[in-house]
Amino acid sequence: MKRWLGLYAAAVYLFLHLPLAILAVFSFNSSRFTVWQGFSLTWYRAIFQDRQLGESAWNSAIIAVAATIISTMAGTACAYGLWKRGSKLLSGSLYLSLVTPEIVMGISLLALFQWSFRWLHWRLGLHTVILAHVAFSIAYVVIAIAARLRTFSPALEEAALDLGANEWQAFRFVTLPALLPGIVAAALLALTVSFDDYVITSMVAGVDSETLPMVIYAMARRGASPVINAISALIVVVFGALVLISERVRAS
Amino acid sequence: MKQRLNRRTFLMGVAGLAGCARGRPRLNVYNWSNYVAPDTIANFEAEFGVRVRYATYESNEEMLAKVLSGNSGWDVVFPTHNRIQPMRQYRLLAPIDHARLPNLPNLEPRFQSPPWDPRLEYCVPYMWGATGIAYNRSVALAPAAWADLWSARFKGRLTMLDDPEEVLGACLLKLRLSYNSTDVASLRRAEREAIAQKPLLRAYLNAEYRDQLVAGDILVAHSWATTAQQAIDAAPQLGFAYPAEGFPLYGDNAVVLRESGRAELAHQFINYLLRAPVAAAIVQTSRTATANAAAQALLPEALRSNTTLFPTAGTLARGQWIATMPGATQRLRDRMWTEIKSA
Amino acid sequence: MKTASGWERLRAWFLLPAWIWMAVLFAAPFAIVIVYSLLTRGGYGGLGLPWTLENYQRLADPLYLGIVLRSFMMAAATTAICLLLGFPLALFISRAGNRKNIYLQLVILPFWTSFLVRLYAWLFLLRDTGLINTALQHLGLIHDPLPLLYNDGAVLLGLVYGYLPFMVLPVYATLERLDPALVEAAADLGAKPWPTLLHVILPLSAPGIRAGSILVFIPALGAYLTPDLLGGGRTVLIGNLVQNQFTTARDWPFGAAISVGLMALVGVLVLLMLRSEREGLV
Repeated sequence: MKRWLGLYAAAVYLFLHLPLAILAVFSFNSSRFTVWQGFSLTWYRAIFQDRQLGESAWNSAIIAVAATIISTMAGTACAYGLWKRGSKLLSGSLYLSLVTPEIVMGISLLALFQWSFRWLHWRLGLHTVILAHVAFSIAYVVIAIAARLRTFSPALEEAALDLGANEWQAFRFVTLPALLPGIVAAALLALTVSFDDYVITSMVAGVDSETLPMVIYAMARRGASPVINAISALIVVVFGALVLISERVRAS
Repeated sequence: MKQRLNRRTFLMGVAGLAGCARGRPRLNVYNWSNYVAPDTIANFEAEFGVRVRYATYESNEEMLAKVLSGNSGWDVVFPTHNRIQPMRQYRLLAPIDHARLPNLPNLEPRFQSPPWDPRLEYCVPYMWGATGIAYNRSVALAPAAWADLWSARFKGRLTMLDDPEEVLGACLLKLRLSYNSTDVASLRRAEREAIAQKPLLRAYLNAEYRDQLVAGDILVAHSWATTAQQAIDAAPQLGFAYPAEGFPLYGDNAVVLRESGRAELAHQFINYLLRAPVAAAIVQTSRTATANAAAQALLPEALRSNTTLFPTAGTLARGQWIATMPGATQRLRDRMWTEIKSA
Repeated sequence: MKTASGWERLRAWFLLPAWIWMAVLFAAPFAIVIVYSLLTRGGYGGLGLPWTLENYQRLADPLYLGIVLRSFMMAAATTAICLLLGFPLALFISRAGNRKNIYLQLVILPFWTSFLVRLYAWLFLLRDTGLINTALQHLGLIHDPLPLLYNDGAVLLGLVYGYLPFMVLPVYATLERLDPALVEAAADLGAKPWPTLLHVILPLSAPGIRAGSILVFIPALGAYLTPDLLGGGRTVLIGNLVQNQFTTARDWPFGAAISVGLMALVGVLVLLMLRSEREGLV
């Protein structure tokens, strides 16, 4: 059975990664149309010459990092609190936020921000995007940490209290270190979700806060050049490497 | 808790700094994609010592959704002509100061007083275009009229635009009715035509049909002239036809938003776009038809006499400017579009 | 006593950020959407008074109910196929020993690239002149290209492709915590692999299957990009309908009403799920 399972897994991985392979191959295509016409590195060169790409990548990075930090902290705290004693209302709304269709989320956040513009004199910008990203990524973090917490015994914290620590110290020095791998995994998940988001971001982004997915989307819908293939290939390589490195660090 | 707030404030500060200009004046321009040449913006920045935030959109609605709030941050946008009047109604537009646009006479005479703004009080025509039929010359009889798109010989190799206005418009023209008809009975007839055509269609596509025409997946496509020209550049066996029953015309205009505090710079930008060499360069790279007569004179012969982008006067006479749709008709058309798609 | 209230205080502080975020950035926006759904559309986009229930009344039309039904069936099919394809994969990963994490990351890796771009890659694969048809024709297996694109099958493929990881991860999480002793016990009692799977492993992974099904079904209900691109605009699902109202149709109130309806549906499903599970996901 194990052999069949392995073969099957290989087939599914092929299914999941085939589009990536296609993208990578065509990022080296000299023609801009999807007809192979020779090997070329023009598109990779074009990436580094495109100022808009650079800026949007930078914006995406800032947003993703900020949103991840906030949502990981808030989400970890929330998962811990819910582990102590649940709250149907909070769990329910976290769930709802997770499964809300993106377009509904985007529209409602845009509505909120535009309504708030009457009182707070601000506009759409990086800050609104970060706020929106935290809104939809918190639930991912909570679920990830909650799953981890289910295998954690409360007896350890009780022991710490018996030894004279207060509740905060028990959390800080006993639970938190044990949760660390889960927190890293949750942060990685939040980072991915934030970095790749298009629908919600495009609605709440301002003039100066174009993100990489927005630029890619605009290029792709125009049926434009394989620059997007090159970008995607680069992203996969970079993040794949990041993942491998973090695995090595974790294993050691 | 405190630690969290500090970190967040810090990060927002960094974000704010990153977005801050390096001291040069700023201009925010929101345009259609593929409407400038690669160096148009850079040259403007260099010559005028400003920094331009340039972003693109794919539809008027996308742009309007941002601009309607009156607080979008954009200075110059490019609405299609039939959105000008509603934008004026919503008090979104700043008046155009002709004194600041010495290059205005470069425009073609018909764009100096277009039907949607005869005195150019609020807009400056930029590029214009039309919708027609792009096709592969290998088909036995080249399509020359909208009626040809209902022919069974193209079954499965035909696409229409994914745009309710364009599709219903094509149906209306096929029935020899006006593209801008608001008559309910006429619209119903058009809807029936669209539903009858659906089994012949491959798909409703707005952008992907270009690549598919080039690759040969499809033979005939409902297409904008600009996109067709881009496809023809890549595959000379393709052609474009302005249908015999008539076709819609649209004009994209530069406007200055009322919310913008940079009217002076905005006018300088528009004046820059009106320069003949600048407009000519844009046409060369993006294959769009410019409203700028002086620029047309600078184009190479092949492009100037290109009938896809610049049809003859006789052909042009069959064209109809798209009208602004009244609210009630809009509702009806939207519902019809849902019905057509669900059929 | 002191300890109990100490934990309560800590819990209260810890839950505060999440409460604030949910209240301000989820509940409030949704309340605004409800308000929108009760207004009338403006002349050219935007909205205004009078207050009206007309948008909800419009929903009761067979045209829109048909769209809801089609969306449900598409989402259900997606979920079923994701389960069929995803369960064996999750099983494989849970038994992969110390390579588990790598295999898991491999499932998520495609998500680092833009979903839209990956969909365009599928367009290239499925087109008449695309890779699959060209390969099959070269191998002499078919004469004319197969119509792989712009139909419900293509949309289903795209949806399964996009949501498979959301099934695999929760199922894996449950399978990983499965006590191997139970499987061993079954083997000791003489059970072959297949019956063990059906009668031991599957029931024990029910929570994961339930969670994965919800995480696939509900977003699939609201999907619009996949049906738009791979379906060639030929069908309208709820996601497309909502998208359309906020863009070309410029009918924000109606779009808001559809969204509220969809969210109500989702809410009911979530309630049912939370109630039936003794241990929730959170």
